[in-house]
Amino acid sequence: MKKISRRSFIKAATMATAAVALTACGGSSSSSTTASSTAAASSTAAESTPSNQGTGVTLNIYSNSVSDGRGDWLVERAAKDGFVIQYLDAGGADVQNRLLAEKSSPIADVVFGLNAIMWESLKAEDILIPFVPDWADEIPAGLNDADGYYHAIVKQAILLVHDQNQMSDDEAPKDWPDLWTKPEFDKKYEYMTSLGGGTVRNVLAGILTRYADPNGDLGIAQEGWDAIAEYYKHGVPNEEGTDLYGQISSDTSTVLCGQMWSSGVETRDEQYGTKTGYAVPDVGVPYAVEGVAIVNGTKNEEEAQRFVNWFGSAQIQGEWAETFSTLPANTNAVDKANEFNQKIAELPAQQIDWALVAENIDAWCEKIMLEYMP
Amino acid sequence: MKEKKFSFTPQTLWNIAIFVFFAWFIFAFLVFPNLNTIVSVFYQNGHFTTEVFDKLIHSTKAMRSLRNSLILAPSLSITVGFVGISIVLITEYFDIKGANILRLGYMTTLIYSGIILVSGYKFVYGKTGILTNLFAKIFPNFPINWFEGYWAVLFVMTFACTSNHMLFLRNAMRSVDFQTVEAAQNMGASQFRILTKVVLPTLTPSLMAVTILTFITGLSATSAPLLVGGQNFQTITPMILTFANNVSSRPLAALLALFLGAATIILLTIMIQIEKRGHYMSVSKVKTTIVKQKIRNPILNVLAHVYAYFLFLIYITPVALVILFSFTDAATIASKKLTLSSFTLKNYISIFQKATSYKPFLVSIAYSAIASFCVAVIVLVACRILQKRKDHLAGALEYGLLIPWLLPTTLMALGLITTYNSPRPWMFNQILTGTSVIMLIGYIVIKIPFTLRMTKAAFFSLDDSLEDAARNMGAKPLYTFLRVQLPIIMPTVLAIFALNFNGLLGDYDMSVFMYHPLRQPLGVYIKSLSESESNADNAALTFVYAVLMMVISTLVMYLVYGRGNKLDESKK
Repeated sequence: MKKISRRSFIKAATMATAAVALTACGGSSSSSTTASSTAAASSTAAESTPSNQGTGVTLNIYSNSVSDGRGDWLVERAAKDGFVIQYLDAGGADVQNRLLAEKSSPIADVVFGLNAIMWESLKAEDILIPFVPDWADEIPAGLNDADGYYHAIVKQAILLVHDQNQMSDDEAPKDWPDLWTKPEFDKKYEYMTSLGGGTVRNVLAGILTRYADPNGDLGIAQEGWDAIAEYYKHGVPNEEGTDLYGQISSDTSTVLCGQMWSSGVETRDEQYGTKTGYAVPDVGVPYAVEGVAIVNGTKNEEEAQRFVNWFGSAQIQGEWAETFSTLPANTNAVDKANEFNQKIAELPAQQIDWALVAENIDAWCEKIMLEYMP
Repeated sequence: MKEKKFSFTPQTLWNIAIFVFFAWFIFAFLVFPNLNTIVSVFYQNGHFTTEVFDKLIHSTKAMRSLRNSLILAPSLSITVGFVGISIVLITEYFDIKGANILRLGYMTTLIYSGIILVSGYKFVYGKTGILTNLFAKIFPNFPINWFEGYWAVLFVMTFACTSNHMLFLRNAMRSVDFQTVEAAQNMGASQFRILTKVVLPTLTPSLMAVTILTFITGLSATSAPLLVGGQNFQTITPMILTFANNVSSRPLAALLALFLGAATIILLTIMIQIEKRGHYMSVSKVKTTIVKQKIRNPILNVLAHVYAYFLFLIYITPVALVILFSFTDAATIASKKLTLSSFTLKNYISIFQKATSYKPFLVSIAYSAIASFCVAVIVLVACRILQKRKDHLAGALEYGLLIPWLLPTTLMALGLITTYNSPRPWMFNQILTGTSVIMLIGYIVIKIPFTLRMTKAAFFSLDDSLEDAARNMGAKPLYTFLRVQLPIIMPTVLAIFALNFNGLLGDYDMSVFMYHPLRQPLGVYIKSLSESESNADNAALTFVYAVLMMVISTLVMYLVYGRGNKLDESKK
């Protein structure tokens, strides 16, 4: 009797290993088919338009801006113009950490997305190589890196939003400091307990750089740190797994306003039945500028340059904007943005010393976590 | 003489090969990368930084979080122990009506965990939860935020962390020698006395092992404090994770992690000493299957049934609600107001329509299966060594393999990729970063300590006389191991395999740094969906994927474990 049981266990074990082998084969074969299909697509496209043409060399692209089908769209669209790309999709901080960790033997050729803070830090860490694309002068002044390491593709406004159904524009905060200086907003706004996200870091940069002081702690005057302390004192912490708009529309939460990136507004209004209004501070709103750059150590520098020329062009950025409702940085493509984004494009930009932010943001977040976050 | 030497050589060669393998493995994957990280973290600009100590000591938040973690771990060990033992007794020892259904309910923690599990509990006890609404109707002044803080965290985690009891303690219970129970009955011992003096003592090795796991889970609690801890009961791991992702804050992350590590080492050392002192015997030599005990006192019997079904309700409601809410949208999940019109199949359809969305499933299934299999083999060999030798070398092996418990996953992942992005002689000058292999190595490494702990407990309950008997009959050691010992511990090995597989299936912390661009694993895929900028239905999608993963996990549990049990039962 016992023998049978042993055999059946061993049988089960061998079956398990066989299943493993099968699935492993399935995984690799499916990836090789996609690779060959894209290669085939590129060879057919090779005869069309000559400028901004890919040669079929495979490029590795890292980005935090390829979710929601954007990556797949890009692979197909690029193949039409002769580029063979494969992308890695991860959060901004993860992309940055990965690039840093792979510094001595880079895998990525091109990186795009992220924001000015991350770009500055990658530049400082010697992760990028300078390349000025054809379309660089189609970008509004101040968005590209002056030294030519990274160039802007998509603009994203970081907004202080409220729901107009529950709070009229007159009642709503006009600028971030209103939140903690005016008693009516006490416990009415949400703050993020995790400081890893791009949006929260732009919000903090927008608040702290108003108090820049070379003699202050980490480059910020004590007044600025006091403001931060008040910001966390009067806010409501976010709830993991629940979005700001979930809190705004919930009966049991006091939250009525908070931080939001501009391209997320429309879908949320649709989802939650809210009507978003946003503050237009006198100092302007922080813009998170997504950019594109070439990775130091790429083995395909020329192909990477061709790709950057192609990707940031008014043509491709216009198509990107039409398909994914983005706000292109390229002035020749702005007319392709939808109505909402056209309005966002007119908001005044807050002047922020991104180099100062990039140098200190990690230390600021650390200080906030240790000293100010309740 | 000559002949003897000849037959002796292959065995020695084997031993040397195994020794070399483990020395290389531990050095290359466990010691060097982690040491590399720790040194680079503390040794900056040519000198050791000590300012991190000051920073931490002067941060009230850090100190409070640390204290909370240290309070949670021991209290959790007690509550989980109590509930864990009771569910094993209910399903395996006492004669409780409907035990099979009860068991399914108690086993739900095997298929979901983390944020999703805690969200499920919030559907019941949270501000807008079912129970809270009910209380608020009965008592108008009922505080709707009652489910917050230490007790809420303890409650959720008590029921969330019984998976190990349900697998390993149950296995141990099923191999209790029933003849001793019968003997005690014949001598007139009371039911209570038999339970405490005969049954529970034989469970001790397994109980100790699962208690260590509970303690470590308590120390590194993340989701429950984040979601129901409120401002007063936050723990240290979320802080470690935040700091680990900040290049300049990594010294803080490492220091905090080392502190938790120290607490773990102290506990492990105590447990290892206790284990060495006693040699526990629990497996019966002549197998008499346990006969379920009817509780003779009628009042106690009714109370036991009430208790069993009450626990069942606690276990089953959150998972039922998670499945229910996966058919709604983000707005409904936020407000928790269910109406007929809020149900939709949209989420599921959108996932199955996309041709690309099944690929991450394949990738994760393949990686998790291969990694879980490799871990099982490596650890089985290691445990065999630990069982045979009790010298310093074995001690070094054991502690070496437990290293991954001392560092947070993020730091280990970073250690591996920064170490192997340049040629290292002991890696045959191969660069591993960016290849498909490195994530597999990462997966194997993080599952070693848990696997070792549980497999070792199973090994320690093996009866030495079985091996002696086999050897006396002329069986070679390898044959004895494969045909005599392995089959006995196979249920445990398979259970560990299933748990490891399910744990790795949705892994994010390790994968995000290591995955090959063409082979995106499920955890990373889900995270990118749920953090996508333009899709507002994130919360709902997270639930849908959680449910799909539950399906896979259930399937694996059934294939690897449930079926094994059935075979086991059918031949009786």
